[in-house]
Amino acid sequence: MNSFDRRRFLGLAGLGALSMAGGGLLTACGDAKPSGGPGTTTQDQLQKLLPAYAPNELVKADIPSVTGANGFFSNPAFLKYPASPVTTTSGVPGKGGTYTTMTPLWGAIPSASGNAYYAAVNKAIGATLKLQPADGNNYDKVLPTLFAGDKLPDWVQVPSWNMGNLGFADAVNKFADLGPYLSGDAIKAYPNLAAIPTSAWQCCIWNGKLFGLPVYYSGATIAGTIFHRKDILAKEGINPDDIKTPDDLAELGKQLTSAAAGRWAFDDVFDATGQIFKFPVDPNRWVIDESGKIIHRYETPGILAALEWYQAQAKAGHVHPDALADKNQEAKQRFWSGKVAITGDGPGAWKGDDAKSGKAANPSYERQAFKLLSTDGKPQIWMNPSAGMYSFLNAKLSADQIKECLSIANYLAAPYGSAEYLTVNFGVEGTDYTMVDGNPVLTERGSKEVATTYQFLITPISPTTVIAGQTQVVKDYAAWEADMVKYAAKPAFYGMNVTEPAQYANINQPMVDLIKDIRYGRKPVSAYADGLKTWKAQGGEQLRAFYEDIRSKYGTGQ
Amino acid sequence: MTALQSRPTRQAEVAPVKTRRWRRDRSLLIMVVPAVVLLFVFNYIPMFGTTTAFQRYSIYAGFWHSPWTGFETFRLMFADPLFWASLENTLLISLVQLVLFFPIPIALAMLLHSILSTRIRTIVQSVVYLPHFFSWVLAVTIFQQMLGGAGALNQFLRGNGLATWDVMTNPDTFKLLVTSQVIWKEAGWGIIVFLAALAAIDSQLYEAAAADGAGRWRRMWHITLPGIRGVIVLMLVLRLGNVLTVGFEQMLVQRGAVGRDAAEVLDTYAYFYGVVNANFSLGAAASLFKGVLSLLFLLAANKVAHLLGEDGLYRR
Repeated sequence: MNSFDRRRFLGLAGLGALSMAGGGLLTACGDAKPSGGPGTTTQDQLQKLLPAYAPNELVKADIPSVTGANGFFSNPAFLKYPASPVTTTSGVPGKGGTYTTMTPLWGAIPSASGNAYYAAVNKAIGATLKLQPADGNNYDKVLPTLFAGDKLPDWVQVPSWNMGNLGFADAVNKFADLGPYLSGDAIKAYPNLAAIPTSAWQCCIWNGKLFGLPVYYSGATIAGTIFHRKDILAKEGINPDDIKTPDDLAELGKQLTSAAAGRWAFDDVFDATGQIFKFPVDPNRWVIDESGKIIHRYETPGILAALEWYQAQAKAGHVHPDALADKNQEAKQRFWSGKVAITGDGPGAWKGDDAKSGKAANPSYERQAFKLLSTDGKPQIWMNPSAGMYSFLNAKLSADQIKECLSIANYLAAPYGSAEYLTVNFGVEGTDYTMVDGNPVLTERGSKEVATTYQFLITPISPTTVIAGQTQVVKDYAAWEADMVKYAAKPAFYGMNVTEPAQYANINQPMVDLIKDIRYGRKPVSAYADGLKTWKAQGGEQLRAFYEDIRSKYGTGQ
Repeated sequence: MTALQSRPTRQAEVAPVKTRRWRRDRSLLIMVVPAVVLLFVFNYIPMFGTTTAFQRYSIYAGFWHSPWTGFETFRLMFADPLFWASLENTLLISLVQLVLFFPIPIALAMLLHSILSTRIRTIVQSVVYLPHFFSWVLAVTIFQQMLGGAGALNQFLRGNGLATWDVMTNPDTFKLLVTSQVIWKEAGWGIIVFLAALAAIDSQLYEAAAADGAGRWRRMWHITLPGIRGVIVLMLVLRLGNVLTVGFEQMLVQRGAVGRDAAEVLDTYAYFYGVVNANFSLGAAASLFKGVLSLLFLLAANKVAHLLGEDGLYRR
């Protein structure tokens, strides 16, 4: 579904994912069956591996991209789909091959039989992709059995947050090395792949080899931010631009909570406060402090300050009781229905379909994000890798089959504004979608048939576009993002695929539990120090040494 | 058996014992085949997986190539205070449920049995059965909607200026909460077997007792309870064999709301430290420990049943 909100699932990356996405070095230590190579990808080797970048300026954005700090940039935004879409590929990419593919899907899995959308795309690519989308919420349970049973499909997508469970530095050896086909100028045979920024390809390298095809997110991917109901704030006479510090936010807690009326100020905003108090949230875990020491997010002073702030809100009754009962699946409904006025979510939540759902509950519904807050007047936001999901080709495929799949990938990666993009994302005009006010809108049949599955094999630079006719949302989001990128920063080990030693997998769970105990007010903040001591003793110090070693050998990716 | 031996037929004299038995029992044996196949495929074959408890298991190396570590995983597990905390929680919750939940289906069955109108009985039965078919996610959501901090009860209390009472996030009363959830969800389902046992009691006994002047309580004490005692003991033995199983889903769904200290049981321990973190050896070790301990509980309970003169799981 186009309504799928990819970034929300980045937030789920916290479920024990050990693998940090990015691409530099990749080692597997302490695993039962260590990978062959030591995983020493030096910067020089990296440069040889990375595909060349040849941007594709097909159409001019209505709201152009803005470049912020450290080279991060906002998405270009379009208010209407270009009137006469161009064709970016010549001929039919496929040679009649048949390939099984598997991707995660969040939402109803469409029927493959009689699916006009699948048929149209397969016809256009000149090959048969047998699509097997699997429930995204259980994807981490599906993958290990496929690997263990050696039953991997020909083309399979693996989200970065599912890699920890797989010991990915080992797992990746089941896939084809795409370096010979894509490294350097070789990629120019596939112009749409060459138009995907280098930062995304860098995430696709493990053990010194290029294995993955990136599902590109954006030029400034963030885990999440703090949203508010602008309509509710306006009713209380609050100007959201006046909210600059956590104290201002806490003040709102008091003003906006009216428990008897069934309204609370906050939903679960704890992870989103990582940006304010400067502790990294998944998938980023390590930072370098002022003295140059590598410290885990559990060791940052920021997380302690955030715990104090959040617990104070919880105890004062400013947080919705269901959020304190860990019922986060219904957070969106609480926000739509106005039971909470302020919530934390991924930026993907701020889209046209959200506005449509919210307005169905309340016609005056308006979601907006606060401009970045800070404790010291110097806001900063750590970036996630620009691609967090990757697809892989099975190592059992022949060279010709790999080339055919890459040609198909080139078709699927056609940029916004092209004719191919419409086919891949919307299917057949008149059957699956119609043009309404210059934008494609899925028909009833289309919303049943069109699933985000081809797009999860590879994704081109995706601009912000009008969904469900909500043009104002695009304008608001683009303006907020243009401001946000000014404060973008690279976290430690950015763009490096690090597979942590498996024996330390268990040490984080007690901290995850303890943090919840404190957030929800079950334990005092003072209990944190003891937990941290145990964490350090059980392997935290060894993990630091592991990362110190990486820093000395391969740098920090910053 | 005795009947057959006392009336030997011509055929039986010539046919070997095995053939005779097969002829007599074949329909029963054929009927039991699907169940045995199911048991074999889903219970016995997976038992092979317990080998991972003695290995440092990797999904790439598989059963055959993962290195053997002996009892190392068990040593680590027994040294983990979180493991012991989860065992303690499991046993405590089980004990509370044994005391508070176990008698309820029996009492309910006896109450239902005393209702003469079949119409009312059917209605009551359907109503108390229904929650059994809800998933735990749904059951807990209903409790949250009713008793949660923003639920119906607390909004009513707030509306009337009274103090609120959030039982859904209180770790101290969690054991009572989960037991009351189990009662709501499973008590109705639990009465089935007791109702069947009650139906098997000869009604002439009641009539005779009534004629002799026995009142309601006398009849219950001297006819009803002795009549279903065997079933009660059987259910109790089975329950004791399951004493380490206290509802994985129910705990998983509510673990965040009350915290690990209150809600971690053996099954969730195996899940979080085994499955979630891909430490399958630890998960297998915790499960094997649970399996062996459960078997011991079962045998011990059965032994006690035999000592009390009951059949227990099987006749001696």
